[in-house]
Amino acid sequence: EKWAVTRTKHPPTSLALQHFDATHSVQLGPLWPSVRAALLSEKKYGALLNNFSYDVVLADLEAQGCRDFLRDADTEVSAAQPFLEQESEVVGDEESSGVSISKKSGIDGQQLSPLHLSPHIKCLVFPRGDITRFKPARPDMCGLLGYYLMDAASLLPCLALDVQEGHNVLDLCAAPGGKTLALLQTQSIGYLCVNDASVSRTLRLRKVLNSYVPKPLLADEKLRITSFDGTIWGDIERNTFDRVLIDVPCTTDRHSLMEDDNNIFSKSRTGERRKLPQLQLELLMAGIEATCPSGEILYSTCTLSQIQNQSVVEQAIVLARENHGIQLQVVDLRPLTHMFRKTFHFAPDLHLGEMVIPHLAANFGPIYMCKLRRLT
Amino acid sequence: HNHEVGPQSRKPVTELSLHSLVDMGFTDSQSEQIYEATSNLRGGSAARHALSTLTALFVLGLNPSTVLRLLEKCPELYTINESQLQQRIGNMRKLGLVEGSLQRVVSYYPQILTVPVKTVKSVVLFLREKCQFTVQQVTDILRDSPTVVLEKRGQLEYKFQYAYFRMGVKQAWMVKSRYFRFSLDEVRCRHCFLERRGLYQTPDKKGQTLIINPKLDDIFNVDEDGFLTHVANASAEEFEVFGKLLAREWQEEQHQHGSVEAD
Ligand SMILES: C[S@@+](CC[C@H](N)C(=O)[O-])C[C@H]1O[C@@H](n2cnc3c(N)ncnc32)[C@H](O)[C@@H]1O
Repeated sequence: EKWAVTRTKHPPTSLALQHFDATHSVQLGPLWPSVRAALLSEKKYGALLNNFSYDVVLADLEAQGCRDFLRDADTEVSAAQPFLEQESEVVGDEESSGVSISKKSGIDGQQLSPLHLSPHIKCLVFPRGDITRFKPARPDMCGLLGYYLMDAASLLPCLALDVQEGHNVLDLCAAPGGKTLALLQTQSIGYLCVNDASVSRTLRLRKVLNSYVPKPLLADEKLRITSFDGTIWGDIERNTFDRVLIDVPCTTDRHSLMEDDNNIFSKSRTGERRKLPQLQLELLMAGIEATCPSGEILYSTCTLSQIQNQSVVEQAIVLARENHGIQLQVVDLRPLTHMFRKTFHFAPDLHLGEMVIPHLAANFGPIYMCKLRRLT
Repeated sequence: HNHEVGPQSRKPVTELSLHSLVDMGFTDSQSEQIYEATSNLRGGSAARHALSTLTALFVLGLNPSTVLRLLEKCPELYTINESQLQQRIGNMRKLGLVEGSLQRVVSYYPQILTVPVKTVKSVVLFLREKCQFTVQQVTDILRDSPTVVLEKRGQLEYKFQYAYFRMGVKQAWMVKSRYFRFSLDEVRCRHCFLERRGLYQTPDKKGQTLIINPKLDDIFNVDEDGFLTHVANASAEEFEVFGKLLAREWQEEQHQHGSVEAD
């Protein structure tokens, strides 16, 4: 009786699993069983500290055993990666100093600018193998919440974007707003455009921002929230932004394996799912066009799928050159992954971009990210 | 004293004294140990029961040091009355546990002698009728996994159904791999770990799977190292964290179940 429960024959979650078993196992090879078990088990969160909250929650969280993974970074240069040139400048106390890594000469002799990590971004995680959960954040006396719970790995695209003082930034697919919030924590953005095609999700994003960011910082001269189809951005604002984050809709591997509701693998959404790579390419293209020359673009997903990750970026690089005359350079993110290898597992030997792969002891991700710089 | 004297050559003893214990073949210090243990037992009949228990254990062919070990492991044995003890032993013989196996079962799991005949019979009935084991298979289960007689019925049923429906294992393989020896936690942890890694599949109605499942024996009858290296192909760290996560999943599942049933 206990076992005779009639289950739907092919719930979307099992269709997703079948699909991933076929594709991801080829891509990840012997790593797949380990990633699979992690994906099918409870994920880990990180608590993005809210600098705008009056409550000092850092000490409290640290007392529970968490640590800020950004301050727990690996600053040693490993022998395996001798090409990494690193300079850590420590100016005064930790508060006022960022850690900056510059890569003097990358592969192919590319010149790369230093990657600067904002000292204002703090994200706490429980140590490797520790499965303790965070309690929900509480509002302070102004009603602002002390921290935002998110996949700690999804902070990496925000860090990689490398926003600098006064930058004009576009977050093209922003809802529900985790990455937007992280970008705002840097407190260095000049003007931020936040967009998401879904009206209801944009509403959720507004709620998130209102629960974390003081009103003055959400004023019209600092921030704009829209609900446009992001693929048309190249026609609206060309050559405009210093930094563009394109966190595209994807097969959201973890969600698709765990929740039958709102699942992209449900039969009725097959068409939508098949069109994802095309949509992703169009969004990335729009983002590239919206970036100003010498500006930088960060493409990210939360899938392990090569077709939605590397292939999309490859096509975009070609299309940008051929159809728009835009030259792009791939920015090497290895200094970043090297720095955080104590906290995350990264896929080895990706020919383009970097990817956090889930692992039971560090169950973050999947997050794929690839950074591009507009040369023209 | 000759401590090697077998039970056969003993004179009938009617009262438990240090002397009689030595006569039974225990060493001086063993005798003192037993004597002390029995005098701590309350009630006048305790000593008499102890005596019949010792005799019964010797009759099963166990030697003095084994007998002492069993009594240390399960002091309740001292207090069972003689006729009950005889009934229980008789019942197990009827169930097919003849000399060698009975001796083995008792020395591995002396608690079995504290279980009423009625309880054993109902477990046997359950295994025969609900789980469809053959008479011989039931004997094998009792011999290899005697703890089933004291397991909670719900737990035992769940364990059977887990193997049968969830893992798709037939009765003969459960017996062969001594499946019932393993705790439900161990079983679920190893099985779910393999399943999530994509290395174990529940067979469909026709008993088919897309992959070849490892044998029950290879999953359970190995230590953790062997399991991780040869079957799961995973690190001890992963398995350890997985155990913690799974324990929490079950806890929450039961909790949910409980609250649903309470509604
Ligand atoms: C992966 S989610 C973004 C998550 C978000 N960046 C965060 O960190 O919280 C992808 C988003 O893309 C939005 N989206 C889908 N199609 C879009 C389009 N054509 N233009 C803009 N946004 C789109 C979806 O509504 C969804 O909210």
